[in-house]
Order: sequence, then C-alpha cells, then structure tokens
Amino acid sequence: MTALRALLRKELASLFGSPTAYVTLMLVALVTALIFFDHLRLYNQILFVYASSSMGGFDTDVIPDYVNLWDSVFFPVMETLGLTLIGAVPLLTMRAFSEERARGTDELLISTSLSPGQIVIAKFAIVFLFVLAMMAASFVYPASAIERGGLGAQHLAAVFLGLTLHGIGVASIGLACSAFTSSQLVAAAAGWAVAFVLWDFGWIEPFVSERTANVLDALALHPRYGSFSEGVVSLENIAYFGALALVCMALARLSFDLRRVGSA
Amino acid sequence: MQGSAVGREARGVEIVAEKLTRRFGDHVAVDALDLVVPANTTFGLLGPNGAGKTTFIRLVTGFLLPSAGRVRVAGYSSIDRPRAVRERIGFVMETSRLYPEMRVASFLRFAGGARGLCGAPLAEAIERVSERFGLASVARRPIGNLSKGYQQRVSLAQAFLHDPPLLIVDEPTGGLDPVQQDEVQSLLADLTGTRTVLLCTHDLGEARRLASRVAVLRAGRLVAEGTTGEVLGGADPLELFRADEARP
Repeated sequence: MTALRALLRKELASLFGSPTAYVTLMLVALVTALIFFDHLRLYNQILFVYASSSMGGFDTDVIPDYVNLWDSVFFPVMETLGLTLIGAVPLLTMRAFSEERARGTDELLISTSLSPGQIVIAKFAIVFLFVLAMMAASFVYPASAIERGGLGAQHLAAVFLGLTLHGIGVASIGLACSAFTSSQLVAAAAGWAVAFVLWDFGWIEPFVSERTANVLDALALHPRYGSFSEGVVSLENIAYFGALALVCMALARLSFDLRRVGSA
Repeated sequence: MQGSAVGREARGVEIVAEKLTRRFGDHVAVDALDLVVPANTTFGLLGPNGAGKTTFIRLVTGFLLPSAGRVRVAGYSSIDRPRAVRERIGFVMETSRLYPEMRVASFLRFAGGARGLCGAPLAEAIERVSERFGLASVARRPIGNLSKGYQQRVSLAQAFLHDPPLLIVDEPTGGLDPVQQDEVQSLLADLTGTRTVLLCTHDLGEARRLASRVAVLRAGRLVAEGTTGEVLGGADPLELFRADEARP
C-alpha cells in the first residue's frame, strides 16, 4: 500500500500540475457555458415571441408545453456536453501511459515494488478524480438553471451522476488506448475514434439485423448517458459504466503483459 | 522497510542465467545464454549495440519474460517471484529515463515510497543518498534543469534508497562529457565490494576501471567471460566486438 500511495501522490501532482489538464478543464467549462448561454438566449427569444403574440401584453398561458427550460436549454446542453467530453477527455488521458513508455520510465516503475495492477489502478483513479472535478466545474451554470427551472435536486443529482459516469467511461477508453502506444497523438486519436464509435450505433442499425442492432444499442454510450439526463438513475446503467471502466483497466493491465511477452 | 531488510540479508546476491533465450519475432536478442554473475562483484556486461545487453537486463528485472530458459536473482525467479527479485534490485537507467518535471526531493520521495519506504526510514534514506551522491544542494531543483552528470547522480540515488544487494547499471555514462563520466565512474568505483553491481556498457575503459569480471555478448551470444584482465587484456579486445560470421 505504501508503494501505491506514493504513486497516487506522484500521479496527482503530475496531472494537477499539467497545463494540458487545466486547458482541458477550461475548454469543457467554456464550451458548456457558451452553449448554455446561447440556448438560454434562444429560449428567452422564443418565450418573448410566444408571449407577445397574444397582443394583450405578456401572457405566459399561450406558451406551449414543449417550450420549456428543460427541452429548450438543458437537454441540448447535456447532449453537447456529452460530445464535448468525448472530444476533450482523450486530451487528458493521452499521456497517462504513453508518456511513461516514450520516456522509458515505465521500466523504472516496474523495477520498484509496484505491480502493473497497482500502476493501472493509480493512473485510472487520479484521472477519475480529475474528471469529477472537471464535471463539478462545468456543471455550475447548467445546475443553476435546472434548479431555477424547478426540476429539483434529485433530477440534478441524476444528471450530474450521468455526466460524471460518462466522463469516467470516456476517460477509461482514453486510458486503455494510452496503454498500448508510446505516442500521445496516437493515444488521443484512438481514444477519440473508439469513444465516437461507441457513442451511438444508430447510424449502423438500418444495415444490421434487429438482434445485432439491440446488442449494439446495449453497448452504446449515448442511450445510457441520455437516460441519466432524463433524470432516471438505473442500476443497469451504472453497472454499464462500471463494467466499461473495469474492461478498460483490464486492457491496460494486459498491455503490460503483452509488452513482457511481445516485442520491446 | 522491506528493502532495508533485504539489503541486510547479504552484501551481494548472485545472478544465474540458464539457457536464457529471448526472441522478438524472428530476431533472437538473447540466445541460450548461460551466465553467472557472482555475488559481491562488479560485473561488466559488454558488447556492441544490439548485442542483447539491455534485453538481458530487462529479463533480469522481469520487465521482459524469457522465450526459453530462466534467470534467477538470489535464487528467486523473475517469473515466479517477481516481487522478491525487484526488492533486491536497484536499477540505474540512462538519464533520459527520469521525470524531468519533478524536483529532485519529490522524485526521491516518490522512488522511496514506490519501494515500500515511508516515514522516518524514508527521510533517513533520502538524507543518506543525498549526502552520498552530493544532491543536497539541488534537492529543490527540477530534474530536467540539472546537468546530465547530476541527473545520473539522481538516477544512482533513487536506486540506492532501499539499499539493494544488487545494482543494475545500464550505460551509466552515455551522453556525459569526460568530466561527468569521471564523476559518475568514481561514484560507481566507491561501490566496489559493497554489493553486486551488473554494469552494462560498451565502453571498454569504463569496464576496465570498474569491473573485476566481464562478459562479452555479441548477437545475443556469450563470446567471452572471465576476469577483466583475461578478457580485455589481449592485443585487440575489440576483435570480440566485431561481427564475424565464421566465429561460432
């Protein structure tokens, strides 16, 4: 445990001291804020148009049900944030393992009391922590809106959980990709590719059988994430993201064994 | 703390390779190597680039698995008991294989922690190696800002934190200027007789200065082994390094 603690401290200092991490955090927070305010501005304009059209002053009764804060602002923001995370998180994870390989410091780590499993756990745990911090920072504006929109704390908690799990899922994919290459660029590109493909299989469903389409749908990120956005917390969806993280950790651990038996 | 206990168990440990083979696809990097590195000696592993020296070291540390044969450190196999092997090893790598953004003190704290040291024993170990390798004055500087000579001192210091009975040193003076080479070689010379040192180098002068026994690898095969005088004392020791298809 001493060795694991030492590595956790080192990884924490390394990630939270990295400019890339803060650029990624700012990028996600900025994109979220911009999209949020843009949709909020549009929503206010729509409200004004509907309410003004009654010609008798400002009458909110004529506003149809489908023009509401959730559908017009929050839901599109969450959709965009889901994709933004896929774009941004691999930038955060690309160096985790690949930089160690490129520098040759993975050999140093392996020569200590640290096992490959501990190295994987430490790297995943610290990135998960950063994703949590990033989600909290990005969630401030939308959370204030959803709270004022009267959706309640439970819905808010479900959305935050969904966002965090989605971020952790994408981070896990990025970390697993980073474990198989010494190039940060390749790690990021592979992370993007895998996460985008896994995001939604809707485009492929017309070309495959219904059974295959169901299997693909069960594997996709978007339906799971979308469920949380609607305020639904299901054990099945939590288990999906947990399983995704575990599979990616197992793959990262496997990369050490493959290097031991494969080419240097 | 385990590291210190291991350090006390013996002044040096033996490395025994038996029919050790490592292939990368069709390429045989280490070919049925039988080699004994005796305990408590400074043993030079020589050979031209691509001879299989680094692969041999990686097999000893357990970073790579052998394709055939086995290697034991203090009687422990790096396959069956990798942890027992790693606890007995201090690994000094090339200077480029450090964390340049980390400060020397932080790096030594991390390296000691990663070897199971904590609290007062860790602080004592850092103080001991800082004094031994003259790092006290640069403790707060980032490793990347140090000269290559000092970076190599940091690399030596991290390998010494747990006082290992076996020190593996891979090309310790590669990329250093003559003065820095002399400094690092002097530090390594001070270790003579205190533990087993496996020195991997292609510098014959370095081997003559530091090693009491040497082995020469070429194309993964052992072409000579003996005392430094026996192996490198001939008229043209470079002959051992030259590729010769006719040679068995």
